Amino acid sequence: MFGSLMARALQDSRFFMSKDKEILDNITDKEYEHGFVTDVEQEFIPKGLNEDIIRLISAKKQEPEWMLEFRLEAFRRWQKMPMPKWAHLDIPEIDFQDIIYYAAPKKAEDRPKEIDPELEKTFDKLGIPLHERQALAGVAVDAVFDSVSVTTTFRSALAEKGIIFCSFSEAVREHSDLVRKYLASVVPVGDNFYAALNSAVFSDGSFVYIPKGVRCPMELSSYFRINAAGTGQFERTLIVADEGSYVSYMEGCTAPMRDENQLHAAVVEIIVEKDAEVKYSTVQNWYPGDAEGRGGIFNFVTKRGICKGSGSHLSWTQVETGSAITWKYPSTILKGDNSSSEFYSVAVTNNMQQADTGTKMIHIGRNTRSRIVSKGISAGRSQNSYRGLVKMLPGADNARNFSQCDSLLIGDKCGAHTFPYIENANKSAIVEHEATTSKISEDQLFYCNQRGIGPEEAVGLIVNGYAREVLSKLPMEFAVEAQKLLQVSLEGSVG
Amino acid sequence: MTEVIFVQDGQLSRSIEVQSGEKAEMILLVLPGVSCDIKLDVRLAGEGSEANIYGAYVCGGQERVKIAVDMHHDLPHCNSRQLFKGIAGGTSKVDFYGKIIVAKDAQRTEAYQENHNILLTDGAKVDTKPQLEIYADDVKCSHGATIGRLNEEEQFYMRSRGITLEDAKVLQMISFIAPVLENIEDEAERELVVAQFESSIRNLAR
Repeated sequence: MFGSLMARALQDSRFFMSKDKEILDNITDKEYEHGFVTDVEQEFIPKGLNEDIIRLISAKKQEPEWMLEFRLEAFRRWQKMPMPKWAHLDIPEIDFQDIIYYAAPKKAEDRPKEIDPELEKTFDKLGIPLHERQALAGVAVDAVFDSVSVTTTFRSALAEKGIIFCSFSEAVREHSDLVRKYLASVVPVGDNFYAALNSAVFSDGSFVYIPKGVRCPMELSSYFRINAAGTGQFERTLIVADEGSYVSYMEGCTAPMRDENQLHAAVVEIIVEKDAEVKYSTVQNWYPGDAEGRGGIFNFVTKRGICKGSGSHLSWTQVETGSAITWKYPSTILKGDNSSSEFYSVAVTNNMQQADTGTKMIHIGRNTRSRIVSKGISAGRSQNSYRGLVKMLPGADNARNFSQCDSLLIGDKCGAHTFPYIENANKSAIVEHEATTSKISEDQLFYCNQRGIGPEEAVGLIVNGYAREVLSKLPMEFAVEAQKLLQVSLEGSVG
Repeated sequence: MTEVIFVQDGQLSRSIEVQSGEKAEMILLVLPGVSCDIKLDVRLAGEGSEANIYGAYVCGGQERVKIAVDMHHDLPHCNSRQLFKGIAGGTSKVDFYGKIIVAKDAQRTEAYQENHNILLTDGAKVDTKPQLEIYADDVKCSHGATIGRLNEEEQFYMRSRGITLEDAKVLQMISFIAPVLENIEDEAERELVVAQFESSIRNLAR
């Protein structure tokens, strides 16, 4: 009797194993749904990078002299810098002279009042309505298409409260003292290779300023789209939250499917003054390349915020599902006493994707707090690394950090890695880090299967539960998209 | 048999290869006054092999203690466990680095690593870099690292029961290190080691 039960159980487990195998094999075939190309007339500048190109970009944007000087200074520094090699990534040689650094949809002689219908369709297709009347309640959008900001919605409603939300080039022209005061104050031009490159050639992005004591009444959002072939996107975002203000900012990105690799090197700087709060959320869905690893975006991004005043708060939430290669470490400098920061991340890699992502928390002020929750999911033949630094400086009395980094492996050809760096030079500061790596437990799968939930669905359920702690931190509009994205990214990758 | 090593000043490099069915066990002890640079390279080179590495360090002066452990899991069904605990006082500096590397075919691996530190003074500094590099999926791997201070509530509890602050601290530090020392199999040897650590901790608490 017992023997036959055993045989039966064995058979069952074999059945499940072969089924899993089957699902695992037909993994990855889900098409990238944002892979279309928009056919708009575009103007390009010549390929390559030199001081003339930078002067040309600056002239096209009608920038003041100081901005051009800033770019040239960055370029001169960049030329002396080597490409960083320390990440756990296999980056092919990038020919920086083979990239077009500026591409913009052609405009009629005078700036048109209406958005080009083709462009509008593009953003509609992506689910980003640009017309205010159709807009999602309470979200103001800045849409960036290749190198220029196409439109920013809800500006007048925001202006009433004194909030500035506009494209970066406009900010340089119209709010130049603010931009000058804060630009490169968190990420200096020579910070790293890609930040220097961005400082030299950045084309557009968003600028946000929230005045003292103002609570931004709606979510602000930027949407980045790479469209033109052979180009790179180098956007720059600067967010300043003055004393006692609050803002929630979201960022989304997509690109067409192409066999070539395209470079995206952005810089985001956030300044949080006394008692202010900034919530920054990203859903990154750049084209990840095909199943064989052809094409896809190289996403090399520098994001850093500073909690400048006491009691300030900065929270990062990111869902990373796209890009062929991701190199990204949103960081916080906790300078003000009693300031706090959080980093919540879900990074999914599938097929041949590579990700090296994490955060840095630099504790300078007293009683500063930080919390890191990172969930990595790797499937296919991908490599997914968490890399993070927690540093307690001698003055960070009673500072506290907790980090939790979990990795989930789906299939036996992928890799998951954890590289935390923990440094403490203050006896009253406490740092805790823990990390685990495992696959989806068979017990959990069995439990679901037993209750009539198929293996694939069960994995979806388990992964979503696994990432819940992070997803629940996203603004509502993004949470839904992120959950769907997780499912799509992992479609069929179940084992 | 567990190998107990009292680390001396200077460098200590060891490569260990563990064959199928074998088990390697090692305890590294660093007493105050010792500045050292320890490099361990452990390779689980046979199926079903096991490695347990433990370490305790106590620094009270200007010591520089550097520990680096690479744990390679090359084949399936191997287990490893690492536990390093230490106390840093004075102007000492502790650097811990530990990497668990699980190769593609090393399924059914269980690998754990822990590094816990207590900072006694503002002059002391601890950096720790625990790392996981995993290329197989059917594994259970984890690491944990903490850097903290002696718990003041525990001290209050003991003091309210008539134990002096100094004794309370000594008790806390001994019980902090104890999970490492417990692994010394030979009872007589263990008692000797515990006594040595106790007296050096007592010096530190003064």
